[in-house]
Amino acid sequence: MKIILPIVLVVATVALIFLALTGVGRASGTVGIAVGSTLVTQKPSTPEQALTNLLIDAKRHNWDQAFSDVSNAAPGDKQSFIQDWTGSNGSLRSFSNLESFETRPMHITNDQAQMRVHLHWSTPVGPIEDVRDFHLTREGDIWKTVWPKNQIPSVPAQVIPVTALRWDLVSGGADDEWGAKNIDAPHVRIVSMNAVDLAEGAVVMGEVVNEDTIPAFVNVNATLVDGSDNPIDDESSFDRIAHVLLPKQVTPYRIDFPNINLKNVKNVRMDVKATLVPASADPIIGVMNQKLDADVQGKSVLRGDLFNQSGQTVNIPHVIASFYDGDGKVVWVSDGYVERALLPLTSAPFTVDIPKSLAAKVQNFHVVVNQYSIGRE
Amino acid sequence: MRSVRLIGISIFLALCFGGVCTAEDASVRVPTSVVAGEPATISTTGSGKATFYLLGPGVSRKSDVSLGQEIHLQPQYTRNAGAYQAIVCADSCQSATFYVTGGKTAGLTFLVHPSRVPVSQSGAVSGVAIPFDQFRNLIFIPLSVSFQLTTGGTSLLTRVVRTQEGIAWFRSASGHSAGALQVLASLDEVSARRVVQQVASDPCNLRIEGERTKTGITVQTEPVHDCSGNPVPDGTIVTFTATEQNGKSTVDAPIKQGVARAQISGPGGAVISAASGVVMGNEVRIGAQP
Amino acid sequence: MKRVIRDSIRCRKATRAATLALLLALPLGLNAADAVNDSASVSKVAVQLDARKAGPRSVENLTERAIVRDYRAAWTSMSHALEFNILDPIDVPFAGDAKRVLRDTLISQQRSGIRQLFTDQNHRLEAVFYAPEGDVIELHDTASYQQQVLDGSKAIQDQHVVVHYVVLMTPSADRWVVRQLQVVPQF
Repeated sequence: MKIILPIVLVVATVALIFLALTGVGRASGTVGIAVGSTLVTQKPSTPEQALTNLLIDAKRHNWDQAFSDVSNAAPGDKQSFIQDWTGSNGSLRSFSNLESFETRPMHITNDQAQMRVHLHWSTPVGPIEDVRDFHLTREGDIWKTVWPKNQIPSVPAQVIPVTALRWDLVSGGADDEWGAKNIDAPHVRIVSMNAVDLAEGAVVMGEVVNEDTIPAFVNVNATLVDGSDNPIDDESSFDRIAHVLLPKQVTPYRIDFPNINLKNVKNVRMDVKATLVPASADPIIGVMNQKLDADVQGKSVLRGDLFNQSGQTVNIPHVIASFYDGDGKVVWVSDGYVERALLPLTSAPFTVDIPKSLAAKVQNFHVVVNQYSIGRE
Repeated sequence: MRSVRLIGISIFLALCFGGVCTAEDASVRVPTSVVAGEPATISTTGSGKATFYLLGPGVSRKSDVSLGQEIHLQPQYTRNAGAYQAIVCADSCQSATFYVTGGKTAGLTFLVHPSRVPVSQSGAVSGVAIPFDQFRNLIFIPLSVSFQLTTGGTSLLTRVVRTQEGIAWFRSASGHSAGALQVLASLDEVSARRVVQQVASDPCNLRIEGERTKTGITVQTEPVHDCSGNPVPDGTIVTFTATEQNGKSTVDAPIKQGVARAQISGPGGAVISAASGVVMGNEVRIGAQP
Repeated sequence: MKRVIRDSIRCRKATRAATLALLLALPLGLNAADAVNDSASVSKVAVQLDARKAGPRSVENLTERAIVRDYRAAWTSMSHALEFNILDPIDVPFAGDAKRVLRDTLISQQRSGIRQLFTDQNHRLEAVFYAPEGDVIELHDTASYQQQVLDGSKAIQDQHVVVHYVVLMTPSADRWVVRQLQVVPQF
């Protein structure tokens, strides 16, 4: 009796280890494993398996193995391949992890295959989903992924003077005489507000302008009020607004009220708070080639390119777009982060979604770029 | 039974020593009014020893005194204006209240708003002056406060206002030119000065010009002014928009030395427009790259 | 005879026990009274505001409610501070000269061992001035309350008073604070 229990435990442990090492979930479509994945990948005898192997190796940062899963790899491409996955220059990708993925075959022949992958990244700004198409090719009895070569922009060495205006904030002393050292908060104004009902809940959106001659740190809050003047809910715009507004700059804002229907709402009370903040007019980021388009899944998106006209790297660009109908009313505000850093004098593409139910109403749009740069205010 | 009686008497005496019983052997006389920071004298009647308490704003004193003698209050105990209670306790406690009022004006609290104001705005600048004595007590007797607003050596406003409930205030329009607006409040020998920055209003007649270069389109504004001719401050954002056949490009460029400039890439022809805040400028057509 | 002696002894013991019980009960009773006073000073502060005569700027509804709320909080804190001679409660609701004077009062009370209790407070406020930019408001407070002055545990004064306060309040980050609190003989 004493010896039976230990034996049973050892046997069970070995069996479970064996299962963990060799077993993969067999759901319909291939599903990426989030945690505790297998240590040994299976032979890439099918396009699904080949792509899964690549993604698992990339997830685990097994770069040698992952690079060997790639078809058109030249030895010099390895660094670029790794950078493509891990990010560089303090970009959002550098702080992200591939959590899981789902693959679906689009088109498979004897020697060629097209697979679509939904990549789920966990990032400091929340979960981000990326949809990409991969081309695979058969080499002998195994399949390999054709990796699209990304051109890392090369910027020639040069000196770029910084002539943009900068505002510093000097705080008064603790014992300032009442009324002696008075700086008013910046004057900002909400120029438009539109409340709509969506399946997920109510949304309040619009635009805010900094009417002052100094920069402002802006936040917009909204309170939904019922017929008896009682508040139903109050929310903030969080990061769906460009918080730092330079003089005369306009930003869209969007405030979500999940699971609330506007039919119970009698009034929307808006509150915009502006505080003094040090700021710089640098970097200037142009938003080029903006156009409405469809992504690989057929969803309506706004595409464009961000061009960094300054000499400073923008680590995490954040795009906020407002969409207008034919009357100039804001019908939607969308935002998205660019996962790659924006190097000086270089471009990076961006895409923001437009809800299917509103895409037909969109006649015009305006994009502002927020940015987070390491070591800068 | 006797012991119960004894207990009852003990309780009664204990309560009396606690001071709840009253007796008529001491009284206190206080001055009718005292100016802040001036000495004061309190007189007592009766004989024997007593405890004197002085309670007032910033003061809570306890001292042993002899009844029938005067109690002299040093100026340091009457600095703060308000109500003071003088309490004398011997067998019983007697109290009286006197008031300390503010003295001669020695300072002005001057609140002026805003710190920045667009030019030529009616009723945009206002100020509130509150006189205080040397101990920071409010003064409620009517006083005449003079307000003067000057900009670039030119007087914008001179007005004398009598304080009501201890406060005087004014309201005025802002001047026509950008620059520092000096605001002065004075009362006798005391004055307080504040500065309000008059800034240009919204851009007016925003005009742009552009030309095609090897790298794309260079566009810039003419010197940006408000409708009064004041140059709009550097750092103000002008949004340039280029509408092309295939899409749209925008650049938010700050004004530098009175002018905003931007580079827009793209080989095709484009219509360029500009806006600053909610003010729109003209449009310019630029041809495609040859 | 034995029975009489026994009865007498029992009677003495009963008397001693009753005396002891009474002496023990007295401090408990005082503590209970203190607790009642404590809760009284904290909870019974009534404030009403009449802002009809305020000018040049009229007082907004939300501002009226905020001022009533914050003035009540100021008096509650001040009463608590003066009752227990502690400085912390006056830190938030007061600023400038009002805070300075209150602090001096409390430090002075700590030295002298005097405490003050304000109970059954009723404050009738009238707004007499509201600045054009809303950055200062002047109020006249006709305050009536029961004032007790204690030297240690000995009550040296206990009276109902009506006092006239001139109050200046200014807005801070998230509330109105009392910047000036000055008693006048009449308005």
